[in-house]
Amino acid sequence: MAAEARDRQFLDPAVVARLGTLELKARTVVEGFISGLHRSPFKGFSVEFAEYRQYIPGDDLSMIDWKVYARSDRHFIKKFEEETNLHCQLLVDVSGSMSYGSRGISKFEYAACLAASLGYLMHRQRDAVGLTAFSDHIVDALPSSTRPGHLRNLLIALDRIQVGSRTDVAKPLHQIAEAMTKRGMVVLISDLLDDPDAVVRGLKHFQYRGSDVLVFHILDPDEIEFPFDRATRFEDLETGDEVVAVPGAVRDYYLKQMGGLIDRYRRELGAAGIDYQLLNTSEPLEMALLAYLSTRSRTA
Amino acid sequence: MSFLSPLFLVAAAAAAVPILLHLLRRHAEQRVRFAAVALLKGAPVEHTARRRLRELLLLALRVGALVLLALAFARPFVRAASPASARLTVVAIDTSLSMSAPGSVARARQLAGDAIRAAPAGNDVAVVAFAGRADVIVRPTPDRGAATSATQTVTPGFGSTKYAAGLAAAGGLFAWRSGSIVVVTDLQASGWDAGDRASVPEAVHVLVGDVGAPPGNLAVEALRADGDRVVASIRNSGDRARDAHTRLTVDGRAAGESTVTVAARASADAVFANVRAAGVAIATVDDAGGIPGDNGRYALTGGNEAARSLVITTSGNLDRDAWYVRHAIAGLRGSAAAELGGWTDEALARYGTVLLLSTRGLGRRGREKLAAYANAGGSVLIAAGPDVDGDVVADVLGSGAPLEMKTANGDPERVAPQDSPKAAPQSSLSLAPADVRHPIFRSFGAEVASLGLVRFRSVAHVSGRSCQTIARFTSGDAAVLDCAAGNGRAIVVASDLDNRWNDFPVRASFLPFLDQSVRYLSSHQSRGTEYLVDEVPAGVAGVPGVAMVGSRRVVVNVDPRESDVDRLSAADFQASITRLKHVAAQDVRADVADEEHRQHLWQYLLAAMIAALLAEGVVAGRMV
Repeated sequence: MAAEARDRQFLDPAVVARLGTLELKARTVVEGFISGLHRSPFKGFSVEFAEYRQYIPGDDLSMIDWKVYARSDRHFIKKFEEETNLHCQLLVDVSGSMSYGSRGISKFEYAACLAASLGYLMHRQRDAVGLTAFSDHIVDALPSSTRPGHLRNLLIALDRIQVGSRTDVAKPLHQIAEAMTKRGMVVLISDLLDDPDAVVRGLKHFQYRGSDVLVFHILDPDEIEFPFDRATRFEDLETGDEVVAVPGAVRDYYLKQMGGLIDRYRRELGAAGIDYQLLNTSEPLEMALLAYLSTRSRTA
Repeated sequence: MSFLSPLFLVAAAAAAVPILLHLLRRHAEQRVRFAAVALLKGAPVEHTARRRLRELLLLALRVGALVLLALAFARPFVRAASPASARLTVVAIDTSLSMSAPGSVARARQLAGDAIRAAPAGNDVAVVAFAGRADVIVRPTPDRGAATSATQTVTPGFGSTKYAAGLAAAGGLFAWRSGSIVVVTDLQASGWDAGDRASVPEAVHVLVGDVGAPPGNLAVEALRADGDRVVASIRNSGDRARDAHTRLTVDGRAAGESTVTVAARASADAVFANVRAAGVAIATVDDAGGIPGDNGRYALTGGNEAARSLVITTSGNLDRDAWYVRHAIAGLRGSAAAELGGWTDEALARYGTVLLLSTRGLGRRGREKLAAYANAGGSVLIAAGPDVDGDVVADVLGSGAPLEMKTANGDPERVAPQDSPKAAPQSSLSLAPADVRHPIFRSFGAEVASLGLVRFRSVAHVSGRSCQTIARFTSGDAAVLDCAAGNGRAIVVASDLDNRWNDFPVRASFLPFLDQSVRYLSSHQSRGTEYLVDEVPAGVAGVPGVAMVGSRRVVVNVDPRESDVDRLSAADFQASITRLKHVAAQDVRADVADEEHRQHLWQYLLAAMIAALLAEGVVAGRMV
């Protein structure tokens, strides 16, 4: 019940998707998310929270808050700004399969909102954030930066991206990993409808390059529940292949296959130390932000 | 391949329905553009290509089933293999008696040969000879020489002309071919009988090869014994009066000669008096230039016991069972029905007429005796009174003359008195002749109305396909029937003759009615000793002369109509052919129906349709 009550405070992704611009969407999500954090178990990660700690010999003296010393006669170090300098790269899958959506928002729209929200949040935390959109190749890339206008560029880039062709997650992952010069954090937003072995190998490549990896596995509720009830001709969004099936006859098989895919990602990525978060496009985006902050806290 | 009911082929258009459904609803299932199709590919589903094949197979099976159903209802059949699709020319040569006139047959052979030679190249030819019946003497063949040779050997016989028989035989050779029939004939008007049918396909043209009119002709058209007189009727069909010299012989001995003058297109009697000898009388008229076959006629004279009649009653005592009949006709003999089985055929055959007034006690042998008597030409008068059983009568008259006697309430099993509801207010019915020209009523003349005075209190319902209703009750039901019974005749009165169901016996009209009925039947019995050439029983040669039918001696004569040389015009002949062609089309359709019935291809088509539906069910069942 508590979880449901909490969820109801978050914005419905479909509602967010109907908002005007990505910036507005990101701000709406993040500001609402942050305002809710005061009652959340993740209290302390907000960039608005100023941390004080007792002076420890060796600390930089310029960091001592002398006003506090004047009032309390104690030396405290004031951490009023984020002191970390995280470089985060958002990898957004824009292959054809991401265009599927059944509840008023497609997986790509959800992924774009999520990337924008993450970018907005990171920008507020003064983390350097970059963007790479890929399908079977890199479609667009924006290096990570903390410059004031960078967030706008990122959002514009996201807004301009069109859902593209076929999926080949591994190939662009390896390309991006090879191109990264700084260690940091990589956030992959994809439906991961590809060869799991190749995907995992690509993500491990980032780990090899010294980056932490967070994977958001975006799936539509239809892909998770397979709610179809009458004979259906399924056409593949990327290949155009058609399969005619009576859902009642194949539902168990499909759910088993999908469950197996998710379990495999969860298991193999977990074993590799990669954070994996399954996201249903009907779930609030804030859940993804919480997952990010959880990973971020470990990274920091 | 042809069809008996081709209109059903229109129903094959229904095959378009599954095609349209297939085209319109080929994507009837919802279509979803889905991302995780790869995960479905291993599922036990049918992929598009294979499904499309199955759909096409299903479509073919459904369309095929509908088409097969339509074909089955159209009743297809394969026309009998024809030796060729070539057209056919049939030469039908008249070989009736009239063609034996001098010069006629030679002219006929010439015309027949000409017709064969004139047949279009590539046509098959056939030759039919016809008179009272027709014989195919050369079946369809491309060999014109054989056909021509056959025409040169035809000779006229003694039969009468029946165009319908010749056309039917000729038309039957065509099957589904087209072509023409050339009728080589003297166009004798008597060759068409009312009600004749001929199977001439509509695609066949009928042409006439006119042999020409026969010359003037003298013929003995009738010869009858009247007491000790023998009367020969001489017919002159020529355009001028002629003296006819006629000779009579009895059993080969000259019995007299007579010369009479016969006006043009008229008849005259040559009377031979004091002819007491019994035997075969032959009257011959001298006619050198006419038709030779009708110059003589045969008759049996003397020893004729046909005037005697046998009355069958319950007890055989005519004073008790048939008092009125007994006193109406002299010389009757009575017999109990139960005793008839002990009679010999010969003994029964001596009676010209049998009056069946009761069937009580008439056993199986007695019925067989009566049936044999009727088959041999004997005549029977049946009074359907209270003592007559309809089943027994049916046995007596035989299966060839189905006579149904029943009460008005529909009980066909038994003849019983029936008080007509219609007559209830008046309490009785009367009768009126339906055919005053019938020999029984002809002698009544103006007094025929006296029959209307007879009051019938009870009547039986009588009917029969081979019967003519010659008198009716005022209720409209048949009162007196004249029926064919075997080779003889039967008069059936729908009430009794013993003053039990009616007052007929006490009416003045009873005596002449009964007398004329017995005379009529007796005369037919005497005719039973005479046959026309075309009507001889089996085993008797169809030539004029004397023959034996069982134990009876009979004479065979030519049809007197054949002596009538009145001719049809070609237009009249063609007009009749047109009428026949219409009827012939029905016969052709009947032949087609028979052909279809023999082949019954529809059954195989129906079986194929069922197989298609079963296959459809199997294929459809395997589709998700």
